[in-house]
Amino acid sequence: MNLNGQKGSRFLLLLSFLLVISMLLSLSVGGMSFSLSELFSGLSPQQSLILWEIRLPRTLMAAIVGAGLAISGVALQALFRNPLAEPGLIGVSSSAAFGAVFVIVLGGAIWQEVSVWQMSLAAFAAAALSTALLYSIATRNGHTDVALMLLTGVAFNAIAGALTQLLITFSDDTQLRSVLFWMMGSFANLSWASVTIVLSLVLVSLIGLWRLVKPMNAFVLGENVCLQMGYEPKWFKWQVMGFSALMVGAAVSVVGVIGFVGLVVPHIMRLWVGSDHRMVLPLSALAGAILLVVSDVFARQILYPAELPIGLLMALLGGPFFLMLLLNRRRWI
Amino acid sequence: MNSDKSLEVNHSDIEVNSLSFSVQENRILNQVTARFSTRQIHCILGQNGAGKSTLLKCLSKELNPSEGSVLWATRPLKTLSYAQLALQRAVLSQSAELSFSFTVEQLVRLGVEVRGHCEQTAEIIHAVLQVCDMQPLQTRDYLTLSGGEQKRAQLARVLAQIWPIESQAPQAFRGKWLLLDEWTAGLDIKHQQQLGRYFKEWAKQGLGIIMVLHDISFAAQLSDQCLILQSGKVYSQGLVLDCLTQTSLREALEINARVEIDPISQRPFIYPVLESF
Repeated sequence: MNLNGQKGSRFLLLLSFLLVISMLLSLSVGGMSFSLSELFSGLSPQQSLILWEIRLPRTLMAAIVGAGLAISGVALQALFRNPLAEPGLIGVSSSAAFGAVFVIVLGGAIWQEVSVWQMSLAAFAAAALSTALLYSIATRNGHTDVALMLLTGVAFNAIAGALTQLLITFSDDTQLRSVLFWMMGSFANLSWASVTIVLSLVLVSLIGLWRLVKPMNAFVLGENVCLQMGYEPKWFKWQVMGFSALMVGAAVSVVGVIGFVGLVVPHIMRLWVGSDHRMVLPLSALAGAILLVVSDVFARQILYPAELPIGLLMALLGGPFFLMLLLNRRRWI
Repeated sequence: MNSDKSLEVNHSDIEVNSLSFSVQENRILNQVTARFSTRQIHCILGQNGAGKSTLLKCLSKELNPSEGSVLWATRPLKTLSYAQLALQRAVLSQSAELSFSFTVEQLVRLGVEVRGHCEQTAEIIHAVLQVCDMQPLQTRDYLTLSGGEQKRAQLARVLAQIWPIESQAPQAFRGKWLLLDEWTAGLDIKHQQQLGRYFKEWAKQGLGIIMVLHDISFAAQLSDQCLILQSGKVYSQGLVLDCLTQTSLREALEINARVEIDPISQRPFIYPVLESF
């Protein structure tokens, strides 16, 4: 075992432990607080209802979405070979949001009730399409023009945002209500059904991307280096685009657009353990989960009984971080 | 057994048969036919845009030729997978930009991991770092290295991919290829010479080396065989002594140079001169 591996597994253990702690915190804190001993020894029927039907799905969803967004950041950064690629910044999240709203409004007119499955798939399709389009615009011969990538993201964000607004003006009252509710991007009122769907989609993508950690390492050295080291870059790129879009689509279709998780988390992990994706990927999953679970606790406690939208909180946190990255690493632009 | 051996040498050649490569209307390579052998250092020379790097990329299967074929040890290159090729040849490209921080040691480790599970990982990393004189810098972040140091770090990673497990064995490098595109760019003379001596040693141990070079004086001292390209076509291929003549340098490369035979090494001694004579 080399030094790095040991350091990495220590971090893995540490973060797993922190994730458990933060989830226990999230389960016990709220309008009705439970102590840890109550959590384990037995709850009244009412407490148990709150725990099983409200807190647990919410906590799980925050963890899953956090992990998914962080990993999709890692994957997109490998694809664009640049640490500034992030689903929110480059317009993948807002395209996914457009896909979800499209299904709510148009699908709602056809099927009345729109399921999480349908929203996830539409969001996935839109996310995948925008990633592929962005890649073909910003990347020539395996070299990504970072400025072009970020500017294309600006354009995508504007277009997807405008189209979403347009759909909203066409929607009727019931559709409007579900769109607005969804756009608030919160972890409130989640069903177990949606937790299972998002969990399975994120798990599939996680396993899919975990298989690709070695070519990811080769790919960040260069598309030609990837091929020289024995990995087929074309197939690799399609898979990375597909799996990251699947994660973003699943996350966005349940909780709306939450930005910067995919930027902040992988960046800090790389500072800790270096750029080897075998470490960065699992550590980012854990850290992303912790970040959103803790932020969610914060978001629902700070203005209690009102709730701060989690997307807003992340933007408040991530925006300055992004600015700092730009200032520190101007040579990347 | 002797005849057996000579047969094997032939079978391990890389054969290029009337290979052409076009991008849109531009024909970058035109009916190139050439042969590269193991145990030899081959040098591809030519002016800017003559097609040297393109030819190297066709050999490493980075580009697919528009016409013609490449035979890799009698097998068509097309039928070999990237994974199979990665175990037989390592490639150093002209430029490699990186925006993620890796230490030199981590970078080289990625090269070893191409081979799958490997018991001797630590030994291989140690050996290639030593060869590239990168041991003192092994814990440094790649992004903080100078241009020449980055080149040596990349070369160490590339070597790790094909480094023999028993590097002392007489035919340790048998069946392996090393493709280098302008590896001397950015390197100081000390490291050019150090590595050049290693290349000669490894060629004796069975390695086939194909490199694109601009420094003809160095090429004359280093390589056994020469391929001169002139606007996408083969101007000449053969032994260094036959290829690097005053005439060919003037005609194909359009340079003014004095060429003499060095009495000690029996190799062309090339001295480019600014003034015409």
